[in-house]
Amino acid sequence: MAQSTSSRSLAGLKAPRFSLGKTDAALGMGLVAPVLICLMTLVVYPFIFAVYISFTDRTVGAQVVNFVGFDNFRYIFGTQGFQESVRNTLVMVFVLQSMKLVLGLGIASVLNQAIRGRTVFRGLTLLPWAMPAFVAYLLWKYMFDPTQAGAFNMILIDVFGTQLDFLSSRELAMPSVIIASFWRGFPFWVISFLAAMQNISPELYEAAAIDGASAWKRFRHITLPSIQHVILVVTLLSTIWTTNSFENVWLMTGGGPSNATMTFPVLAYYGLQTLRLGEASAVSVSMLPIFAILAFVVVNLLLKED
Amino acid sequence: MKPTPCKRPESKEWGKAKNVNVTVVMINQNETVAKVSAAIEAGNMPDAFDLGRDFMLQLAKNARIEPVDDLYKTIGDAHGGWLDSTNKGSNPKDFGGKLYGIPFGQSGNLLNRRDDVLSKAGYKDAPKTWAELLEQAKKANAPPKLFSMGFALSNVGDANVQNEVLRGYGGRIADDAGKKCTIDSPETREYMKWVTDAFAAGLFPPGATTWDGAGDNNAYQSGQAVFIANPGSVYLNILKADPELAKGSKYSALPGGPKLRTAPTGLNFRAISASSKVKDLAKDLLAFMSDDKYLSDYYGKAIYGPVLKNGMNAPIFKESVLHAGLLDLALNGTPANFPDTDNLALAEYNTNFLTPKMVQKVVVDKKSVEDAIKETQAACQAIYDKYK
Repeated sequence: MAQSTSSRSLAGLKAPRFSLGKTDAALGMGLVAPVLICLMTLVVYPFIFAVYISFTDRTVGAQVVNFVGFDNFRYIFGTQGFQESVRNTLVMVFVLQSMKLVLGLGIASVLNQAIRGRTVFRGLTLLPWAMPAFVAYLLWKYMFDPTQAGAFNMILIDVFGTQLDFLSSRELAMPSVIIASFWRGFPFWVISFLAAMQNISPELYEAAAIDGASAWKRFRHITLPSIQHVILVVTLLSTIWTTNSFENVWLMTGGGPSNATMTFPVLAYYGLQTLRLGEASAVSVSMLPIFAILAFVVVNLLLKED
Repeated sequence: MKPTPCKRPESKEWGKAKNVNVTVVMINQNETVAKVSAAIEAGNMPDAFDLGRDFMLQLAKNARIEPVDDLYKTIGDAHGGWLDSTNKGSNPKDFGGKLYGIPFGQSGNLLNRRDDVLSKAGYKDAPKTWAELLEQAKKANAPPKLFSMGFALSNVGDANVQNEVLRGYGGRIADDAGKKCTIDSPETREYMKWVTDAFAAGLFPPGATTWDGAGDNNAYQSGQAVFIANPGSVYLNILKADPELAKGSKYSALPGGPKLRTAPTGLNFRAISASSKVKDLAKDLLAFMSDDKYLSDYYGKAIYGPVLKNGMNAPIFKESVLHAGLLDLALNGTPANFPDTDNLALAEYNTNFLTPKMVQKVVVDKKSVEDAIKETQAACQAIYDKYK
């Protein structure tokens, strides 16, 4: 019975609503129920609860909770930390994604060529991504150490006789975090682009080469259009992850110096330290519109691909 | 009994004697707030647990812990009485009229100093004032290998030691009523001159504005700092890891300013959940853990000063220079945040590290002292207004 329904759909016939028998419908509901329950319990309920408490004065352990409307949002929007975190998050996401896109495409293109040791290079590219995030960021923190113990300052002192306060100066803190985050995150882009590039038919390149197209033209008119869908999905997914990334900033600077690297997730964590759950939720919830748009675009793209 | 986060497993012995199955969960003290908060939200509170004073204020306000006034009196009477500093820090008035925890240890920052370095610079005695410390620091400073002021100026709890310098210069976070912020004052300007002058002179190690909680410890243990403020973990560590550094180190109370000398002691408490079904048993456990013998052993392995008069007799307070300092702190220290009113608004001010951030605005953002003070005053008042 299920088979015939499926066949009809595949044949492009519009399946009548409620065409399944009661037994099939019950079976279907039964099979879907565990997933639905899991989703409701682990995703939907916490999500709605977080939105709800962002409109309350809830603190840890509070037995009486009052609805406060937009008070929490008004308060956090007025704090210097929030304003700086909006700016920093946008800067970090924009610069990081641009770097990952350009360098990711470049590296993937190189690794897609028949170069010697290609397999080894592909393996090495994955290493930063395979390393646990906290290890990676602590290593970068030590390399940026402002004293003579830091690798970069060791070199600077030896070569130029000077040292830089990478993580403690307003000018260098964010670029330093971005460099470390790029190192940790670019393999995902490279591998995704590489996989997409390998699906492009070699005949297209051969034909273009015969027609006299330069390497840049082949990249511009064959490679890019062929993988544009992957580029978009990877960019959107990575944008969501980067906006949500916590350990890079937390482990390297804690949001400092003086909010120079304060981002949304770190600010939300500080909010939790004061036990004022309503305000901490308001910080997280204020990111929701951005994520909702990104998630909507990603889901639509994936559905189109299907 | 349900999990009992506490420092040592002797409570199991008590469990055997009482025929009670005790589950002990040892957690990092820095994670108490996060873990207990999660337990509260999950409705799975331990029957009894350790906590700091600020957290106790919050839980008492929300009636999540059980009043223990009678037990406090019983334990005090049985063990020579409570120290004055314990009584001050456990005043039921601060918690809405009742006491919600049994103190078991006092902790606070001592000034650790490199006596070997300072003696060579001509300073044999500990600095008594922050101005003296600055003077000694300038002489001992030898960058890029050795920086004098190993004090955090970052967004970590250690950096709140700056509040004590501020108070030493006569500054206050808020008025006596604990309602109105008083950061914008001539005294704060004097403090800011002290700290920013020291920073400009290169006395703070590079990175002090972004240190994590271990930053000052690491700087001292790696021989890069002359002075740090530390509750004792560094001492315990260098005793084994670097005996030479331990030999060259000395410990004293924090210096004072021209107006005031504070030596804040933080009380650590044990509390009973309001939701516990075995409150009497939990009280019995807390009484057992306040016994003279138990606490004497405990202090030998922890870095706390005593809370009870009998506790002063623990051998460790004679055997260890650090513990002698902690005993001194317990006897002569000032309540946490003194002379400010220790309320929830002040706790949030501290959690937001507004004093070290005020310094960061000048030394990192290159803002004027005036602007930094005014911005901090506004941020502070916004916090205090939420608690009116």
